[in-house]
Amino acid sequence: MTGMSGISGAWPVAMFQLRRLCTWPRLAMAAVGAAFPAAVMLAVGRASRGALPSDVAVALLYALVPEAVCMLGLLVTMCPAVADELERGTWAHVATRPNGRRALLLGTWLAAVIWTGLVALAALALALPWARVDEPGRVAAVLAGLVVLSCAGRAALFALPAVVMPKRALVASVAVALVVEYLAGTIPAVVNQATVSLRLRSLLVAGMGWKRKLPTEMQLFIDPQPPFVHVVAVAILVVVFLTIAIAILDRRQFPPGDEL
Amino acid sequence: MIALEHVTKLYGSVIGVNDVTVDLADGAHGLLGPNGAGKTTFLGLVTGQLRPTLGSVRVFGEPAFGNPRVLRRIGYCPAADLLDRTTTPFEWVRYLVRLAGFAAPEAGRRAERALEQVGLTAAARRPVTTLSKGMRQRAKLAGAIAHDPDLLVLDEPFNGLDPVARHDLVSLVRGWATSRSLIVASHLLHEVESLEASLAVILGGRLVASGDAVEIRRLVDTLPGEVRVRCAEPRRFAELALRIEGVVGVRHEGDMVAVATRRPVAFVEEAVARAFDERLGVREVAAADRSLEGIFGQLVRLHRGGMP
Repeated sequence: MTGMSGISGAWPVAMFQLRRLCTWPRLAMAAVGAAFPAAVMLAVGRASRGALPSDVAVALLYALVPEAVCMLGLLVTMCPAVADELERGTWAHVATRPNGRRALLLGTWLAAVIWTGLVALAALALALPWARVDEPGRVAAVLAGLVVLSCAGRAALFALPAVVMPKRALVASVAVALVVEYLAGTIPAVVNQATVSLRLRSLLVAGMGWKRKLPTEMQLFIDPQPPFVHVVAVAILVVVFLTIAIAILDRRQFPPGDEL
Repeated sequence: MIALEHVTKLYGSVIGVNDVTVDLADGAHGLLGPNGAGKTTFLGLVTGQLRPTLGSVRVFGEPAFGNPRVLRRIGYCPAADLLDRTTTPFEWVRYLVRLAGFAAPEAGRRAERALEQVGLTAAARRPVTTLSKGMRQRAKLAGAIAHDPDLLVLDEPFNGLDPVARHDLVSLVRGWATSRSLIVASHLLHEVESLEASLAVILGGRLVASGDAVEIRRLVDTLPGEVRVRCAEPRRFAELALRIEGVVGVRHEGDMVAVATRRPVAFVEEAVARAFDERLGVREVAAADRSLEGIFGQLVRLHRGGMP
C-alpha cells in the first residue's frame, strides 16, 4: 500500500471521471462543442466571401476556442465536482478514504482539463481550415497553448464555486466567469493581474506578434510582460485556486440529508 | 477503539447528536434507533465526515475528522443507495481501493476478491443501475471491505433487502466481524442481535441505553408496559387499577383505560379477575406494542420525563 496523498490519488479519480464522461449524451455534447467553432468560421467565411482579414479570423478563433468552448466545457465538467458525488450517493464513500476529498477535487480538475482540452483541440483542428489564416501552423500552436492554459486556469477557478456552493455551482461559476474573467479581467488595474483572461490575451498578442499593430487604447487590455511570465502566472493562479478549494473542501461537512 | 466525549453535533438549529459520551472497545457493536434518531450523524462523526460542534471524537486514539491515518483503517458502507449509472461493481470497488492507497494491479485483485466474498462475481461487470437493490448493497459492502479495514461501519445495511439477501448479508457480516471490529446502525433489533453485537440505543440524538442484547431486553422488561382495557365501567376500572401493585399511571379515554405497570402480566391476571368479580364489563385487554419501535417510543417518553 502506498501512502496516497491527494495528488497521487488524483490520477485514479481522473481516470474514473473520464470513464463517467464517456456516455453517449456527453460524447454528443462534446461533438457539438468541437464542431461549433468550425460552423461559425464557415458561416463567417461565407458571409465575408473569403475576405475576412487573417488577424480578425485569428481573434475570432481565439474567442471561439480557448474562450467559448473551454468555458462551456469546464462549466459542464468542473462545476459538478462535489454536487455529482452528492447526487450519486458516492460522496460518503470518497470522503471516508484517506485524502479522498483532495483526490476527488484534483482528479476532477485533471479530468476536466483533459476532456475539455481534447474537445477544444478538436474544435481548433476542425475550425482552422475554414479560417483561412496566414501562418496556420503558428496560429495552431499559439491557440493550442492557450487552450491548455485556459483549461488549467479556468478549471481551477471553477473549483472554488464547486466546493463553496456545490448545489449552485453552475450558476455561481457563470457569475464568477462574468465578474472575474470578463469584468475584472478587462479592468486595466492591479485586479486584472489575478485573472486568466489577461494572461491569455497577452499571450495571444505576443504569440501572433500583434503588439506593434495594436492601437494604444487596446494596449491597456494586455500585459506587456514576456510570455513565460504569463505562463508562470497562470500556473501560480492554478496552484492558488486549487489550494484554496482544497482547504475549503477539507473542512466541508454535508449533513446526511444532503445526499440524495 | 472509539471514544466520544460529550459530543454534540448541530446542523444549524437542528440537533444531530446531543451530549453523547461513549467508549466502544474492539468488537462488534450495534447502534439501534428509529429513523431520524441520529445514527447516521453518529457514524458520520466516527468516520471522520463530520466534525463535532462540541466535545471530541477519537477513533483508534486520534481525532477522526478528515484524518487519513484513521480513514485508512475504516471501511464505510453508507445507507444512501449507489446511483452511479456509468460504473460497474468491479470498477467502483477498484476505484475505492485505489483511493485507499493501493496501486492499480493490487486494487484490481482486491476488488475481485471482495466481490467474490459478497457473492457478486457474476454481476461484477454489469452497470450498477441494472443491479437489484440487494446486489447494490453487496457492491457497497465490497467497496467497504476490499481494502481490509480494521473497522467496518455499516449504516442500515439491510434496508430494502429480501429475506434471502438479508440472511446472506447477515452471515457475511457476522463472519467478517469474528476477526475485526464492526459497527452496524439499524432500526431492526433482531438483525443486530443476530450479529452478536453489543448494543447502544440512540434516540433523539442521545444514547439512552447500552449493553448486550440480553441487557437491552432486560432493560426493556423493566420498563413499565402499557395495558389497554376496554370495559363498560372505565372510571371504576381505573380506580381498581390504581390499587394494584406495580401500577405507575392510569389514563382514561372514553371506554378505554390505559394502565402503565411494571408487572404487566401479573397486572392483567389480577385486574381481570377483580374486574370480573366487580362486574365491570371488561370487553378487551391488549398489551401495548412491544416491538422495537414501540420500545423506542417508550424510551423516548421516559427520556423526556413523561409516562411510558
